[in-house]
Amino acid sequence: MTHDDTGGGPALRTAGLGKRYGHVWGLRDCTLTVPAGAIVGLVGPNGAGKTTLLEMIIGLLKPSEGQIEVFGRTAQANTAQTLARVGYVAQNRPLYPDFSVADMFHLGQAMNPNWDMNMAAARMEALDVPLKRKVKALSGGQQAQVSLAMALAKRAPLLVLDEPVASLDPVARLEFMREVMAQAADGGYTVILASHVVSELERFCDFLVVLAHGHAQLIGPVDELLGEHQLLTVPRTTPDADLPGTAIHRTDSDRHSSVVLRTSPATPATRAHPGWQTESVGFEQLVLAYLQRPAKGANSSNPARGAEPSGPTTKVMSR
Amino acid sequence: MIWVSWRQHRSQAIVGLGLICAFAVYGLVLGLQMRTSFSNNNLATCLAHSLGASCLNSVASFDNRFGSLVNIGFYAVLLLLPGLIGAVVGATVLGRELEMGTWRLAWSQTVPRTRWLIVQLAVAATGLIVLGAVITLIITWYRAPMDRLTGHFVHNAYDYEGLVFTAYILFAFGLAVLAGQLLRRSIPAMLAALVPWVAVRLVVEFAIRPHFMTPLRFVDHCSNGCIGGGNSIVDVPPVTGHLGDLLVGNGATNAYQPASRFWEFQSIEAGIFVALTLAVLGVTVWLVHRRGT
Repeated sequence: MTHDDTGGGPALRTAGLGKRYGHVWGLRDCTLTVPAGAIVGLVGPNGAGKTTLLEMIIGLLKPSEGQIEVFGRTAQANTAQTLARVGYVAQNRPLYPDFSVADMFHLGQAMNPNWDMNMAAARMEALDVPLKRKVKALSGGQQAQVSLAMALAKRAPLLVLDEPVASLDPVARLEFMREVMAQAADGGYTVILASHVVSELERFCDFLVVLAHGHAQLIGPVDELLGEHQLLTVPRTTPDADLPGTAIHRTDSDRHSSVVLRTSPATPATRAHPGWQTESVGFEQLVLAYLQRPAKGANSSNPARGAEPSGPTTKVMSR
Repeated sequence: MIWVSWRQHRSQAIVGLGLICAFAVYGLVLGLQMRTSFSNNNLATCLAHSLGASCLNSVASFDNRFGSLVNIGFYAVLLLLPGLIGAVVGATVLGRELEMGTWRLAWSQTVPRTRWLIVQLAVAATGLIVLGAVITLIITWYRAPMDRLTGHFVHNAYDYEGLVFTAYILFAFGLAVLAGQLLRRSIPAMLAALVPWVAVRLVVEFAIRPHFMTPLRFVDHCSNGCIGGGNSIVDVPPVTGHLGDLLVGNGATNAYQPASRFWEFQSIEAGIFVALTLAVLGVTVWLVHRRGT
């Protein structure tokens, strides 16, 4: 299956996107570009703005500022055109408990012009989920598969999954993610996967977005991001300012500090200081480093760590 | 879309149907008994000739036998019934969706949420109108003999025979839909809807209804006693001499609403409640529309 309306451009582009709830910003200054076909991992602590971002992409929530384009077309909240372009498995995978699986699909057909009933039914058959059974009588894993089938049968080129495997047992998690990956590969879907489980993101995602404090902290293809960061061990006395790059997160022990560093390719850290030890950084270390980064403005109270990193790269968001 | 709304309210519809069947059986049994008793005592002839004055004993025994069944039962059960029906159905429309998180499913399909809500409201309201009309017909049928004694303006008849019963249901429905949107919980929404519903009901019934139309004046010619006066078995205001007239302020101002205005009154009161319902639902649709913006 191919999606004729994907064009050649990116699947998703946001510019200066923000959402304010009363006086509080749930998300701010979010600028990102996701290439078509990417499997995007979206990670961030609770309250970081993940669901806010996803709901704006889907068209459930109107941004307070900024724009969203899904496959080159501006997303407008609460319009059929925008809603049709995104398949969505919401947090907790909501379904109507007293509907049968067939009823749920019937609902999908009644509410979506491009609904693919054959595909939905075939998937349930392949997974041994009886169509006549009520949703509440299904296992958690089966319910998740019904939710996924509904998102896929909508035939929308972008698939948004908000914590889709939370509260599933390990086998069901694996089966669910296997289905997602198989469908993404077969159907050319672009997938945005929000999850707390970093190891899962590492396994499946080729594009990473880290949200914290209502801001996107890190955006980019996983390979590139890993290449741009190093784990550096330096004497504890070394100030951040002397490091050959931007210290993202620093752990001090008795004598040494290990620093997750964003390097610039021109100045490898090891050349300037032969005594320093460098390692490549792991996916989980990288994510955690950005998640543990204090909110903007909190840095100034700790001068030993150096000032706010100057000149953030284009992919690191700063206010 | 209509199918979706129907499917979501299917179990409620089945309960409603069961309720109607049980009530129809009760109404049939009671109505037949009343009719038998009514004709056995030749009450119709007696009431027609003398407004019951010539058959006080028969009227009294009929009233003793059935009065509490059709009247006390009404106060205890039926007063809150339209409110409960409307609130139960209304609270599920938004309250349950928001409570269960299924709104994310419903509103992320290719149907804008305002359209989804309007179809939901239309389907549920249609079902409630049918339910209200059927209950009204059952009550009107079985109560008919008693109405020959009381007229239709007494609370126990007026509130259940005509248009207002259905309008009360719709108003409770509208309030519960709005409460569901505000509280995001179904049971609290149900309870929250009943409070303003009862308040408005009582204010309209006791403060506003007697003044829907300019009352007529009567000349008090009963200081020396009138037909039926004093025994209060037959609800004929003795001073006007017509069955079913409604005295304004217990007749102290010599003002009354004639029984012939029943349907005008029903239309006015139903109109008030339908207008309130539309206003409440309009606010709800606007809030739901605004939520995503």
